[in-house]
Amino acid sequence: MFRLPLHGIRVLDLTMGWAAPYATRLLADMGAEVIKIEATNRWDPLRSLSGAASGAERAWDRSPYFNHMNRNKYGCALDISKPRGRDLFLELVAISNVVVESFGTGAMEELDLGYRVLQEANPEIIVVSLTGQEEHQAIYGEAVAGVAATGAIALALWHRRRTGRGQYIEVDRQEALVGLMGGQILGLSMKAQKPHPLIAPQGCYPCSGDEQWLTLACQDDAQFAALCDIIGRRDLAADPRFADGTGRHRNRDALNGLIAAWTRGRTKEEAAEALQAAGVPAMPVLSVPDVFADPHLRARGFFELVSHSVAGVWEVEGPHWRLSESPAHIRLPAPAFGEHNEYVFRYLLGLSQEEIEALAREGLIAGRPEWPTER
Amino acid sequence: MDALADIRILDLSDGVAGAYCTKLFADYGADIIVIEPPGSGHPLRRYGPFAGGRPHPETGALWLYLGTNKRSVTLEIGSAAGRDLFRRLVEEAHVIVESFPPGHMESLGLDFRALRGIKRRIVLVSITPFGQTGPRAGWRATSLTSFASGGQMSLSGTSQRGPGGYPAEYQAGLQAFAAAATAAYNADALEVPQHIDISAQECTASALGMHLPRWAYQKAATSEGRGIEAERSPRVSAGPAASVHTVDEIPESARLAARGYFQEIDHPRAGRLTYSGSPFRMSEVAWRAGRAPLLGEHNEEIFCGELHLSRQELFHLCAAGVV
Repeated sequence: MFRLPLHGIRVLDLTMGWAAPYATRLLADMGAEVIKIEATNRWDPLRSLSGAASGAERAWDRSPYFNHMNRNKYGCALDISKPRGRDLFLELVAISNVVVESFGTGAMEELDLGYRVLQEANPEIIVVSLTGQEEHQAIYGEAVAGVAATGAIALALWHRRRTGRGQYIEVDRQEALVGLMGGQILGLSMKAQKPHPLIAPQGCYPCSGDEQWLTLACQDDAQFAALCDIIGRRDLAADPRFADGTGRHRNRDALNGLIAAWTRGRTKEEAAEALQAAGVPAMPVLSVPDVFADPHLRARGFFELVSHSVAGVWEVEGPHWRLSESPAHIRLPAPAFGEHNEYVFRYLLGLSQEEIEALAREGLIAGRPEWPTER
Repeated sequence: MDALADIRILDLSDGVAGAYCTKLFADYGADIIVIEPPGSGHPLRRYGPFAGGRPHPETGALWLYLGTNKRSVTLEIGSAAGRDLFRRLVEEAHVIVESFPPGHMESLGLDFRALRGIKRRIVLVSITPFGQTGPRAGWRATSLTSFASGGQMSLSGTSQRGPGGYPAEYQAGLQAFAAAATAAYNADALEVPQHIDISAQECTASALGMHLPRWAYQKAATSEGRGIEAERSPRVSAGPAASVHTVDEIPESARLAARGYFQEIDHPRAGRLTYSGSPFRMSEVAWRAGRAPLLGEHNEEIFCGELHLSRQELFHLCAAGVV
């Protein structure tokens, strides 16, 4: 058993929301020391999305959205927009490897914390900016931007070891998402016809129960024959309408009707099992509750029980990059607001107790956000 | 200095996921050697649309896009002689990417333990629809069934035919890239090998935004008898946003054009076409606008030039269907 791959890498995490915090979560899952930096007047908006009653104590620590996205991270509260806060941030930069932010174009420059300034504090620093509008065009839009950032950071770490230099990385949300459509976009450049070959039958079919669907696809004649066998319609394999993929595609309405007649009489799990046993690709359309209960994911240990001092105990999806020699788990719950102030300011930066108290009085360091009482 | 040029990756994968994973490395200067079956070549070469309209192994959009900046050898790893050559390539490799059904690499004598015996700090990345273990580990999948498996399809409001494209595979490939780069970085320093098990289902299930936490929290609250307090979060629509761009509109995007996102790349058979650029930009490492390789284009360069086979030996191996 070896230690985690990013052990010893320190990340200053100024990010908020979904995309960039997903990137830093992946780094944290892989063993990096990720220090999330919030401020009393600027905290991660996910803390405000909470199922907790408004009057609950430390409501800002009870958000399931924040707590899922920010596990394995440390948290401190520092106002980097004030001169002394900015100085302390630069001291942290000097002893860190990566800075990640998602404030938007120009924001760091306005704080006088642009890349050149950070580079002066630490020539090896890797700075990552997540830019562009939030990508909700696809459910996975935000996650894709986050993963792209993580990958780029890993490349930058390799580069830094070879050259002794850091660099600036920009991840634009739209560019990250559009990369997933590269084949289609190139196809448009060809001004070409529809893709070849055609797969049929293929689609979603209704199963027994409310909004229960099965997906399946027959990639060749053999799989189609197997499908016909399973649904008790061997005659269809010899039907000239369905003799090849082109024919099956042309006559797909009729074919889909025949398949649906079979699926309607079964649960989506039964149907999928039967088809897979015959070598036909098939999978139930899993809803979110289905995912949460999925026996395959459970067997793989995808969900881990996390205990949070304020929010309680519940299950969180664990690190899913499974490394044989360095298995990763959820080591820390998401940080309570300012939870690791002591670690960051006393231990990492060496401030005295008096200095910390003075900064707290000025509002630069805090143990709680300026939470509106009426929500 | 081409700092990433000394990362060498052997790509045994046969789908979109593995190809996208290695493309992201290749486009930033790493050396990717794609191992293609002699004769028919990589399965992705069969997928259109095709430049010029007619199906051809060198002009398919999917291969042209995913194959950029890679080197190609033809090699039959089903044969003992082919596996011997592959093992010699492993000696100089940092990462191997494969997407075979679980157990297949073992049946070839190329499982993680065997590979570690050749290169102590090797990183083996296995990308599959459901992972190496578990009740569904052997299940077959297509782009449609993969997208259904991790919860994203149920949240997408997509039509009965599915989302089009390969969203689950691309996501798995992108995640595999980030995981592989992380492990390779570590292996480089500490000589720690890794076998990385990437499941497309798990990649997509971890990218459900607010929906999984919301459900997990509700379940915990009800089981503890707490009752669910009024949901304060804003209602989020599960379907696509109002201002959605269809894929057709993306090449016309003024914003992307202004950012210089699209690149023209020339190819001896497919001609000059417009490609999508990189998902990220690095100030110190240049993105390469290079083309996909022809089938077996680098056989001589690699087998003769690097492994020091004579041209005669190479000729015999070709005749035997090994290369």
